[in-house]
Amino acid sequence: MAKRLVIPGELVTEERKKLGSHVFVREGKIYSDSIGLVNDEADFASVVPLEGKYMPQMNDVIIGVIISERFAGYGVDINSFYPSFVSKKELREVLKPGSIISAKIMKVNEFNEVELGSIRLFFGGEIIQVTSVKVPRVIGKEGSMLNILKGGTGSNIIVGRNGRVWAKGGNTDLLRKAIEKIERDAHMDHLTDKMAQYMQEQTGGKKPVQENNEEGMFGEGEQ
Amino acid sequence: MAKKKEEQIIYVDSKGKRLSGRKTDELRPIKITAGVIPRADGSAYLEWGQNKVFAAVHGPRECLPKHTASPYKAVIKFEYRMATFSVPDRKNPKPGRREVEISKVCGEALERAIFVEKFPNTSIDITVEIVDSNAGSRIAALTAASVALADAGIPMRDMVTGTSVGKAGGKIIIDLDKDEEDAPDAVDIPIAMLPNSKEIVLLQLDGVLTRKEWEEAYKMAEPAIAKVYEAQKQALKAKYLNGEGDAHKAEKKGVEGQ
Repeated sequence: MAKRLVIPGELVTEERKKLGSHVFVREGKIYSDSIGLVNDEADFASVVPLEGKYMPQMNDVIIGVIISERFAGYGVDINSFYPSFVSKKELREVLKPGSIISAKIMKVNEFNEVELGSIRLFFGGEIIQVTSVKVPRVIGKEGSMLNILKGGTGSNIIVGRNGRVWAKGGNTDLLRKAIEKIERDAHMDHLTDKMAQYMQEQTGGKKPVQENNEEGMFGEGEQ
Repeated sequence: MAKKKEEQIIYVDSKGKRLSGRKTDELRPIKITAGVIPRADGSAYLEWGQNKVFAAVHGPRECLPKHTASPYKAVIKFEYRMATFSVPDRKNPKPGRREVEISKVCGEALERAIFVEKFPNTSIDITVEIVDSNAGSRIAALTAASVALADAGIPMRDMVTGTSVGKAGGKIIIDLDKDEEDAPDAVDIPIAMLPNSKEIVLLQLDGVLTRKEWEEAYKMAEPAIAKVYEAQKQALKAKYLNGEGDAHKAEKKGVEGQ
């Protein structure tokens, strides 16, 4: 492993550098504030965390689960600090507690409360949970990991930034196993190559039949 | 009542050995495992001598009831609990004066380390269950809780690490066990600090200690705390370095302090 693993309060560097995420300065030295891998460049120091809750960010696409219905809308669990809310005015379809939606975060306030937009309803499928800080590894560089997963399992996959992966069709058992493996080995190098090999072993090199049900994936939401 | 005079217990013998065979500045063996409770956001299991402790962290999450939330910072809700079978006689499961006090002081100690201002309006719930106890359980609880917090990915200035120092049989010793705590002249000082900045976050003293004795005790505590910190560090890193395959050989999961 090329990158150094640090725990909260451990020294990142003694030099003066620009501060990235998950670092802080005490007495002129840079320390980590969570457990993660050091990213120490020439004029920039940051820590990529290995654990943590989802911090809502503007323009993220997330996957939410409806948890309650009220007069004017629905309460949505977005796997963050608080549940969010979707107004019935923005929706054409009727939702029920348990419905799965994807949404874009339009606004985040200083309490990390969010406003959701561009809501789309999913029919069927299942949800796989990932630690939200490991979502970038599930997607990979320019979607490379996601393509391996899609190719190997033949599922339709949508990854929400909040640590929920929605999948339908194909070999979802294999997908679940593969994602578990990614999560376990998220801190290692060359993960994409390893996963490609893993997929090869599991499927025996056979290309699964791509079920083409893109049409049936979404309800009549916007977009 | 007692006909013959009770035999004098020698807490530290001429060779500097204690009742348990430890040296005066020797800790009990420490074993920590991080991430033992999958449903919690972060968790840890700690064995410190005979003490056995589970710590679980949930959050930051919505602070309920809502009037307890603060718009400036995350509220730390620390709960220290002892199992009914954790002591020789059955312990009443109702939280008593002692548990409420320990929950308060430990929560405040951790609050100093956590970047609470990053999560306004939320609460961080820490539950520590003492499964077996033999003196020094509040420090064990605090040590386990801070590993669990790091495992949950909550941003912290530093770990919180501690040990107890004290006096038994007229000698200053570190990490007292139950026999030593029951000495007639026993003094027990749980002390917790942020090991990198040496900032003390918890210090309690009952009994009488001279100024000189206290200075000696503090001098012994500092290196002991460094050892506990090392055990915490190893426990957290072991979770990742243990990964199957790859160049790094698996380190042992728990780390024996001392």
